[in-house]
Amino acid sequence: MVSFTPVAALLTFSPSFFHLDLPALLVVLLSIVIGFLMVVVFRYTSDQKAIRIAKDQLKAHLLAVRLFQDQLPVVLSSYGRILKGTGRYLRLAFRPLLFVALPLTLLIVQLDRYLGVKPLSTGRPFLIKARAIDSEVLNTIELGLPLALQRTAPPVHIPTENEIVWRVVAREPGNYDVSIGPPDRTFSKRVSVSTELERISAIRLQGHFWERMLLSAESRLPAESPIQSIEVGYPSRSIAFVGVEWNWIWLFFVLSLVAGFLFKSILGIEI
Amino acid sequence: MKNAAGSATKCRHLAVFAVVLGLVLLCPLRSEAYAGPGAGFAVLSSFWTLFVAFLYSAYALLTWPFRHLLRSLRRRKAYGKAQIKRAVILGFDGMDPELAARFIAEGTLPNLAKLQAQGSFRKLRTTFPAISPVAWSTFMTGVNPGKHNIYDFLARDLSSYLPFLSSAEIRAPKRSWKIGKYTIPLGKPVIKGMRRGTPFWHWLGKSGIFCSVIRVPVTFPPEKFPGVLLSGMCVPDLKGSQGTFCLCTTRHTDEKFREGGVRVPIERNGSGLRTYIPGPEDPLSSNSGSELRVHFEIRPDAGKRLALFAVDSEKFTLQVGEYSPWIPVKFQAALGFSARGICRFYLKEVSPEVEVYVTPVNIDPGRPDLPISHPVTYSIYLAKLFGPYATLGLAEDTWALNEEVLDDDAFLVQCYANHDDRERMLFDALEKTRQGLCACVFDTTDRVQHMFWRYLEDDHPAARGVPRAERPKVIEELYSRMDGLIGRVMQQIDEETLLLVVSDHGFKSFARCLNLNAWLHQNGYLALKSGKTESGDWFEDVDWSQTRAYTMGLNGLYMNLKGREREGIVPPGAEAEALKEELRTKLNGLVDPASGRIGITGVFDCDAIYAGPYVDNAPDLIVGYGEGFRASWDSVMGKVTNQIFEDNLKAWSGDHCVDPRLVPGVLFSNRKIAEEKPGIVDVAPTILKLFGLPLPAHFDGTPLTVSTEPAG
Repeated sequence: MVSFTPVAALLTFSPSFFHLDLPALLVVLLSIVIGFLMVVVFRYTSDQKAIRIAKDQLKAHLLAVRLFQDQLPVVLSSYGRILKGTGRYLRLAFRPLLFVALPLTLLIVQLDRYLGVKPLSTGRPFLIKARAIDSEVLNTIELGLPLALQRTAPPVHIPTENEIVWRVVAREPGNYDVSIGPPDRTFSKRVSVSTELERISAIRLQGHFWERMLLSAESRLPAESPIQSIEVGYPSRSIAFVGVEWNWIWLFFVLSLVAGFLFKSILGIEI
Repeated sequence: MKNAAGSATKCRHLAVFAVVLGLVLLCPLRSEAYAGPGAGFAVLSSFWTLFVAFLYSAYALLTWPFRHLLRSLRRRKAYGKAQIKRAVILGFDGMDPELAARFIAEGTLPNLAKLQAQGSFRKLRTTFPAISPVAWSTFMTGVNPGKHNIYDFLARDLSSYLPFLSSAEIRAPKRSWKIGKYTIPLGKPVIKGMRRGTPFWHWLGKSGIFCSVIRVPVTFPPEKFPGVLLSGMCVPDLKGSQGTFCLCTTRHTDEKFREGGVRVPIERNGSGLRTYIPGPEDPLSSNSGSELRVHFEIRPDAGKRLALFAVDSEKFTLQVGEYSPWIPVKFQAALGFSARGICRFYLKEVSPEVEVYVTPVNIDPGRPDLPISHPVTYSIYLAKLFGPYATLGLAEDTWALNEEVLDDDAFLVQCYANHDDRERMLFDALEKTRQGLCACVFDTTDRVQHMFWRYLEDDHPAARGVPRAERPKVIEELYSRMDGLIGRVMQQIDEETLLLVVSDHGFKSFARCLNLNAWLHQNGYLALKSGKTESGDWFEDVDWSQTRAYTMGLNGLYMNLKGREREGIVPPGAEAEALKEELRTKLNGLVDPASGRIGITGVFDCDAIYAGPYVDNAPDLIVGYGEGFRASWDSVMGKVTNQIFEDNLKAWSGDHCVDPRLVPGVLFSNRKIAEEKPGIVDVAPTILKLFGLPLPAHFDGTPLTVSTEPAG
């Protein structure tokens, strides 16, 4: 009689369980590297002694709740101290956050271009959406497509949102520029059709610096342009890791935490 | 201008940071919501802490009415008949009533004077003998030593005449597994407490009265009871000894310390120096005596009179004459076995030689390898709250001062550092124990008086070279400091709190050593092997077949009784009684020929002074030394010399192991006490009575008559 064991189950599913495709491998490696770097940065930008004391005091107040549980005033005052201590601890962790927040944010934004969405596939329809400055302009906007791309339906106007949407399908892989705008003045938008890992910019914006920095990888639309944004509906990417489909940022979050935890223990760093 | 510009730049930078951070934190995009594992840990662990705290608190709050009801049903309301809400007992080991009275009269102890005026000040009868483990055991159990089984620091093994620690026994795990060169212990070390009797806080705890007990001697191993307790005197160091310091030195010498310390050579290692701290025995090694070690490096800078230390991952710099904080050390054995401890380093010298003193390696209170508190988490709680602290029973390294490894100042710094830690623990316990018992014993009083009595006397042999004007007022300052502590405690307590200041014994000078084994030898009671005129430690050259009496430890005198000792020759019964009487008669009133003073003022028959199930373990006689005398250093260690009397030249210059009638302790109270001659044995029944509990029938003490009215 064969019994079902977790090991047998693992072996049964092992090919998919342990298989790492390129994006997954990239996330794992990046998580390890960034986990290490961030822990080291945390070490040198934080007050390690103060953090250690703050953490120890938190633990002490937690233990006090347990040790003196029959004494309600002690329990309550310990709980108050835990709240206060948590605030102090977060405040101490705040300074390293200042140092790592900006570079890490920029890094994550760049990674998101590769890992956040997948390139378009041939034969599968996708949407191109343009937002105008007002609804009157919508009637003048046209979509110019290269030969490899083909419209599959008439454009849909959404006047309340000042938007116009086209449904398009790609025939061949490649990077294409579509043109959008009134006939006398069009603006291009890059469209990626591929099965590879590509750097993708889903939107081209007229917006402010930080908005473009965080959302777009393309040059800004001119300020006097009647079009505010052009967006391509790329499918979001999920990454298979240990039998679970992950959004890359969550996987990165979990793995970098694990890596950070290991490195902090090895390097003796207080976090 | 420059400052203004600087602050403007600073403001601008701050503004940029604030804007960036604001954008990052306020932007509701998934990719910006995470700022690395550091922040992730901070946020996660904060939430985790709050969550756990909430669970704990909710549990405590929700279950409190039920637990309260259950306690009420089971114990019929804990404080129902109590005359007090709280009892605070401050134990000052060795505080002497005569010195206290003198300093009160001189006006240097205002708080004790206030206690005396508003409440009571009495001499407190101590135990026979007047030794801390004996007296504190009686304090906590309310019984005589015949019922608690502690007669000295040491007891003797009847089969080998060798000593062992009287309070606790630590043995290797019962089972082990031998693989090749390794012996793997299966289980934890077996720790057996030897003190019998039930501490009075157990009775209180069982009745629902909460107790915080800190560093009362002979509470190792800690016993379970409904309260918290941190063990005191008799907690071993990591080597299992009562304190073994280490002197790392580049000086080459074959000399060994008499006891309490080891000398370790420092060796050159490239441009630096390398040495080690000796640790416990390797638990995996089949060969006894193979110790674990922690190596460390020293980089001395003679010009700057400092040295850089690297101990495991810890790096620190010390100036000459400076102590390090507590440094964690890990003694690594094979197969992942390890022992963790803490110690402090003291840089003695960097030129021409390098010398570093290392305290005994204390059990790490934050990660105790042996239980040193009840519950185990209590020592961890204190370590997390206040940082690492001394856990060794005899934490103040008197041996190092005795051996002149530490000087007076370095010893005092160490003492008061420990004392400050203890104060913090006391005030935390006072805050946490708003009802119930809070008892804390301070050892500083004992250790400092032992080591600095020499400056209190005009002609102490250990201070003859020090002009009177240059003698520091260490003991005066000690009492003043304790008085300050009492004052701060008095501010923390209300009218419903009883405050007792208690000491286990007083103090007297220890100027002359009396080697009782030498006297026994010279008077025909103790025989040496043929050709020997002296004996080494622990009766090395004693001929037991012709020995009728011997002494070891501080006050005990034993007959070599047939059927009891392995090579006993004195038949029990009439002959033994006659020998006892003979010894009593001859020793009582023994005169020191050099000074003409009486060296022994009383010899007490243990059959007369003790009663209880453990009397058989007691010495046969207790020797009460006269004022200024004590058992010699050699005699204590079972050594027989030619000299009966000699000067005590050690820094350890005051003592209490004398005739107990000469060294009563103190009892201060914030309430009036009717009895004129209370005893330390009366404290336990008094506290139980004040909390309205019935007294156990086996108690030897009687409750004192304490005024129910708060001090006016």
